[in-house]
Amino acid sequence: MKEFNKINDILDFAIDQEQEAVDFYNNLASKLANEAMRKVFEQFAQEEMGHKAKLLDIKNKGIFDISSDKIIDLKIADYIVNVKPSPQMTYQEALVLAMNKEKFAFKLYLNLSEKAPGTELKNFFVMLAQEESRHKLRFELEYDEYVLKEN
Amino acid sequence: MIDQDVKYLKFKTYLNTYCPHCHQSFNIEKKDIRLLSFKAIFKGQEIDVILSPYLDVFDVDTTVPILEGELLDDLICPACKKSLINKDIICAECGSPAAHVIISALSKLLPFYICLKRGCEWHGLSKADERRIKLKIPRQEMPEQDQTLRIQNHQEVPYGYTSEIAELEAGRCLQCKAPKCVEGCPVNVDIPAFIKLMREDDFDGAAKKIKERNVLPAICGRVCPQENQCEQKCVLGIKDKPVSIGCLERFVADFERKMDLVKTPMIKNKTNKRIAIVGSGPGGLTVAADMALMGYSVTVFEALHELGGVLTYGIPEFRLPKSIVQFEINYLKELGVRFELNHIIGTLLTVDELLENFHAIYIGVGAGLPMFMNIDGESLGNVFSSNEYLTRMNLMKAYKFPEYDTPMPKGNKVVVVGGGNVAMDCARTAIRTGSTEVTIVYRRSRHELPARKEEVHHAEEEGVKFKLLTNPIRYIGTDYSMIKGVECIKMELGEPDDSGRRRPVPIKDSNFIIDCDLAVVAVGTSPNPIIFNTTPNLKRNKWGYIEVNPETNETSIPNVYAGGDIVTGSATVIQAMGAGRTAANAMHKKLSKS
Repeated sequence: MKEFNKINDILDFAIDQEQEAVDFYNNLASKLANEAMRKVFEQFAQEEMGHKAKLLDIKNKGIFDISSDKIIDLKIADYIVNVKPSPQMTYQEALVLAMNKEKFAFKLYLNLSEKAPGTELKNFFVMLAQEESRHKLRFELEYDEYVLKEN
Repeated sequence: MIDQDVKYLKFKTYLNTYCPHCHQSFNIEKKDIRLLSFKAIFKGQEIDVILSPYLDVFDVDTTVPILEGELLDDLICPACKKSLINKDIICAECGSPAAHVIISALSKLLPFYICLKRGCEWHGLSKADERRIKLKIPRQEMPEQDQTLRIQNHQEVPYGYTSEIAELEAGRCLQCKAPKCVEGCPVNVDIPAFIKLMREDDFDGAAKKIKERNVLPAICGRVCPQENQCEQKCVLGIKDKPVSIGCLERFVADFERKMDLVKTPMIKNKTNKRIAIVGSGPGGLTVAADMALMGYSVTVFEALHELGGVLTYGIPEFRLPKSIVQFEINYLKELGVRFELNHIIGTLLTVDELLENFHAIYIGVGAGLPMFMNIDGESLGNVFSSNEYLTRMNLMKAYKFPEYDTPMPKGNKVVVVGGGNVAMDCARTAIRTGSTEVTIVYRRSRHELPARKEEVHHAEEEGVKFKLLTNPIRYIGTDYSMIKGVECIKMELGEPDDSGRRRPVPIKDSNFIIDCDLAVVAVGTSPNPIIFNTTPNLKRNKWGYIEVNPETNETSIPNVYAGGDIVTGSATVIQAMGAGRTAANAMHKKLSKS
C-alpha cells in the first residue's frame, strides 16, 4: 500500500482518485446512446469534478475542517449487487454503480485513517472518508426515493 | 334541530340569551351598549368574547385577535364555566362545531346555535334556520363480506351501499357554495351536484352528472384513493369524517348499471379525423371516450388479449370485478370506439406507421416493466415481481387452474416486499390461494405505509402479518435454486433529512431470516422499452419515462401525446384519467384548427 507521510501526499492521491472518477463517467457517457442517460453520467462526472475542486482548494489554502455533522448511512450500497458498466445501462444501474464507487472510496479512506501515523493524518483521512460518505448518501437517497418506492 | 319559529325572527331582533346549563343570561350592558358576553378557549388560552345580541349584525370583539377562518376551541358560560358546545350539532355552512344557547323570543324559549369559526357569520345568529345547522350523521360504512368467508373466494369484498344508506350518507354533504372536493378530483367531477341529485332521489341523474366528467365511475368509486383526493378536501372532514364520496360514486354507477339506465349519447358533430390510442388502461379509455364524444374516429390498440390495462391485469377481482371493467368498456364500444387486441405497438406497428394513418396518437402504455431491488437471490425460483404474480392471477386466472391454463404460483409461507396497494393486493391474493402464512415486509413504520388504510385494514382482517421497519437484504435458496427464506434487517427511522423525510436506516447486527417458499417483490416499476426501440426520437427522462408538455401532454413528436404512468411513473387510476383528459382537450384544440 502507498505510504503517506504528509497531508499534501494524501491530497494528491485523493485528487487523482476524483480525476479518475471524472474520466470514468465521461468515458461511459460517450458510449451511451440514450441522451437522458448520457446526461446522467455527464452530471456524475461534473459532481466528481466539484469534489476535485474542493480538494484542490484545501491544498491551496492549507485549511480543512473536520465536520462534526453525522452523515446518515442508509447502507443500501452494502446489500445491493454491483453491476458492470454497459452502454445500455438504466438509471437504476447507474445509481448502483455510483453508490458502489463512493462506498469503495469511503472504505479506502477509512482503512487509511486506521493505518495513518499521527492524529493529523488520521483526521485528514477521516475527513475524506466523511466526504465520500456524503457523496454515497446523495445516490442512496435517490435510490431510496425512486427504486425502493412501494407500489 | 332548531325550532322552526326562529325563522320568523325579524332582522335586527334583540335576543335575550341564556346558558342551557345554569340559565344565567349572557346579555350585559356596558355604557348603554347591549352585548353578549362569553368566555372562550382559543389556542389553549381562556379569552373573553363579546358578540352582538342583534340578529344579523356581525359585531364581534375578543381579547385576543382571531383571524378569519380560525376556530375557537370552546365557548364557555361565564357563570357556570360549562362548555356550550353541542357535540351532536355542526355548522351546516362549514362543518365546524357549534355552541348551543337558549334565546327567549316569540314568547318562547328556543334553542339557538353559534358557529365557532370566525368568518362563518361568526356569531351565527343570522339566517338561523334548519339549513344553518345539521344533526350529526355518522359516516356510513359499506357492508362487506365476512372475513372468514371472503378468504375462501375471490369475490368482491365490499357489497356497496343500499339506497337507504346512500341517502343517509348523501344527507351529510354540506353542499358548499365553493366546494373544495371538486378541486381535489383530478377530473373535476361536480361532486355536490351529483350528491344533490341523490338527495332528490334522482340516482340516474346523479350517475349522468358524474359521467359528464368521468367515464369510469364504477371503477373510480372502487379503486380511487378518495381519502387523498376529493374526500381530503371535504369541508366536513375538518372536524368530522368527510362525506364518503367514493362510496356514493360507486353506488350511483352500480345503480345505473343494474337498472339498465345507461344510455349512449348521440354524437352530433362527427369529424373525419382519426385518433389512435396505444394502451387500454384508464388513461387511454378516458381519451377514447372524450375524443369519441367530440366526434373523432377512435381506435385503441391493446397489446394483451384482454382490454383494461392495469384494471384487468393488475387489480384483483376481489377489489375490482372484471365484469365491471368490461361493462365500462362496452359503453365505449357503444360510443363507436374500435378496439384492436394483441397489437404491440413498437413491433407489430410503429408510432411512425400509426402517424401515417391517424391524425393524432395517445400513448398510455403504463409502467409495466418490473423493477427489482437488485439484491442477492432475486433470480431464485419462486421469487416473483408483483407484475408477474398479479398478471398470472388476474389476467391469466391462474387461481382457476386447470379451468384456465396458467399454473398458479403458490407458496405455504409467502413474503411480500413493499407497503403499497400492490403489495396488499399480492398478499391478499396469496391468502385466497391457500397460503398458510403471508407476511408483508415494509422498511418504514405503519404511519408511512403508502397503501390505502382500507386495504391495510382488510389485509390485517384476513390474516396478513406485517413486519414493519424491516428490509430484505437477500433471498436464500435451496440446493435446487428455489427460495427458502429472506434475510432481513431491522430498520429505524433516522433524523429528518433536508426534505423533512425520515429515512429508514438499518440497525447494526439486527439481521434475521424469515422462512418462505414464495416471495413477491412489490417495489418500483419502470417503463416497458418496446415502443421506444422503434421510436428513438421520443424524448424521455433519465428514468425512461416520456417527457411531455405539462399543459398539453404532447410529446417531443408533434401530434403524439402521452399520459399516465408512462409519463409520471406509478400513480393512481384517476391521475391517469386526468392526464388523458388534458391530452384529449389539447388534441381537440389542435386538430380543430388544422
